[in-house]
Amino acid sequence: VIRQLLFEPYQLGFMRRALFEVLLLGVLGGVVGVHVLVRQLAFLTEALQHTVFPGIAIAFAAGQSLLLGAAAAALVTIVLLVVLTDNVRIDHDAGLAVLVATFFALGVVIVSRRSGYTADLNQLLFGRILDVDRRQLADTVVIVAFVLALVAVTHKQLVLVAFDRAQAEALGYRVALLDLVVNIAVACTVVVAVRAVGTVLVVAFIVTPAAAARLLGRSIGATMGVAVVMACALGWVGLSASFEASVNHGVRLASGATIVATFTVGFCLVGVAARLVRGVGARRVGVGVGVGEAEA
Amino acid sequence: VRTVFDSFGAPFFQRAAIEAVLVGALAGVVGVHVLLRRLPFFVVAMSHATFPGIVLAGVLGFSLFVGGIGAGLLVVLAVVALGAVRTIDDSSAIGVVLAGSFAVGVLVLSSQPGGSKDLSAFLVGQILTVTAADIITTVVVGLLLLVVLAALHKEFIHGAFDPAGLGALGYSTRALDLVMLVVITVALVTTVPVVGTLLSVALLSIPALAARQWVERVAPMMILAAAIGAGSGLLGLCISAALDVAAGGAIALTAAAVFALSAVLRSPSSPITRMVRLRPVAEAA
Repeated sequence: VIRQLLFEPYQLGFMRRALFEVLLLGVLGGVVGVHVLVRQLAFLTEALQHTVFPGIAIAFAAGQSLLLGAAAAALVTIVLLVVLTDNVRIDHDAGLAVLVATFFALGVVIVSRRSGYTADLNQLLFGRILDVDRRQLADTVVIVAFVLALVAVTHKQLVLVAFDRAQAEALGYRVALLDLVVNIAVACTVVVAVRAVGTVLVVAFIVTPAAAARLLGRSIGATMGVAVVMACALGWVGLSASFEASVNHGVRLASGATIVATFTVGFCLVGVAARLVRGVGARRVGVGVGVGEAEA
Repeated sequence: VRTVFDSFGAPFFQRAAIEAVLVGALAGVVGVHVLLRRLPFFVVAMSHATFPGIVLAGVLGFSLFVGGIGAGLLVVLAVVALGAVRTIDDSSAIGVVLAGSFAVGVLVLSSQPGGSKDLSAFLVGQILTVTAADIITTVVVGLLLLVVLAALHKEFIHGAFDPAGLGALGYSTRALDLVMLVVITVALVTTVPVVGTLLSVALLSIPALAARQWVERVAPMMILAAAIGAGSGLLGLCISAALDVAAGGAIALTAAAVFALSAVLRSPSSPITRMVRLRPVAEAA
């Protein structure tokens, strides 16, 4: 039965491409997600997924590449955020909230100019992972490779800055540059994932597996490993479940949302398990406690 | 312009205008509290979290208010419970809950025939279909919230700036915080029919932020924020009628334009700031 559920759907070409895309995004989301968590950038991630919306809306209306549109919008967001928090009497979170609302509203207005826009809106909001084609897969591979290389090369510095900014500065690291590296990694991940899972569920690929993994992993490396494995495995299960329900049981389940719901269930199970284990054994001294105390 | 005046003749447009003004004003007042307590991320999270409740209510045919508020309260509990797990900080807990509950809402809708049309109504609002009963609900709920805010005004403000001091005076800060979160959640659900789930954060933060650029004291800030919220609601609605774009988006963009204008006019280098320097500009809270 398991074989039928997990392997049979992937004899179809479009399901196979969707699975590849989910696995690639799982790897990327798991790795970047751990950086997002140790720096408490969850809100930035959430904000970016909404602010890229007008970019893809414009690209969609103009028939251009959604990837380019999303990338341009992400860039504008980061620049505007810096301008806002530096010059206006506004704190970082409030600035993000303004940008989220404004950009999202802009996207909605642009899409609503087209007649019969609800179908377009849904496609842009929730993505079409089942429509992924070879070219999109190739784009994804390139971006995933770029981000992973970027994060791998700067790994040691990024971790040091996340935990002890002052010392990293004292050691002569260029902290602002390293912050930029993380922001670029998050932006790239959001941009590449938006096409597949849409603009409101991207944050789950980044935050949820990493948050679950942090309950288990003892070091940053191990946490990343667990996050990647969880994201890929749960993504696979979620995609299969949506296929099974839609094709064989007549219950239409949107694939992106099913994958995210599977992530959440996985997170809850891990949370409960970690709670039970900790209740029985002595309190573990690991990366978790340190992470909780390191304010970004 | 003529089309806008024409559309005011239609009863549905009058109702929409009344609702937009009421909700804009209410959200402006509550938004000041959102800012003072630095809760914008909470608002964004709640706007996603109330989504499955609103969807369920729509599908099963009971009040959107009950559904949204019910789901919102559940999520507040979930965030508190997750926060109790030591290794998860608040913002990631919110992130996980937010994405998960939103996915549930989408799943419920996607399994319904014709769900995609309803979905966009929930997401971007559909103010033009507001009924007289909806307006009465807004008035009652709005008055209730304002009474609560007025009755506990001093305590709320004190708690926002100095929670430890308020606790030392013998108040239960925890209970007050909880009341505040409930007030914000109820206000948020009120804004959903006007601007939709994803843009409620626009009405609950932008008018207050714009008002903050002009005044320092809390009570005038609330009045100004209410005026900006109501004005943006009305103007946005007219713009949407004139240009034939989604009303929720137009209202949010109008508010954003007011904020941008305020920020530019009141930036330290602007001539107006230099001329009208009544008080020293304090650091952003």
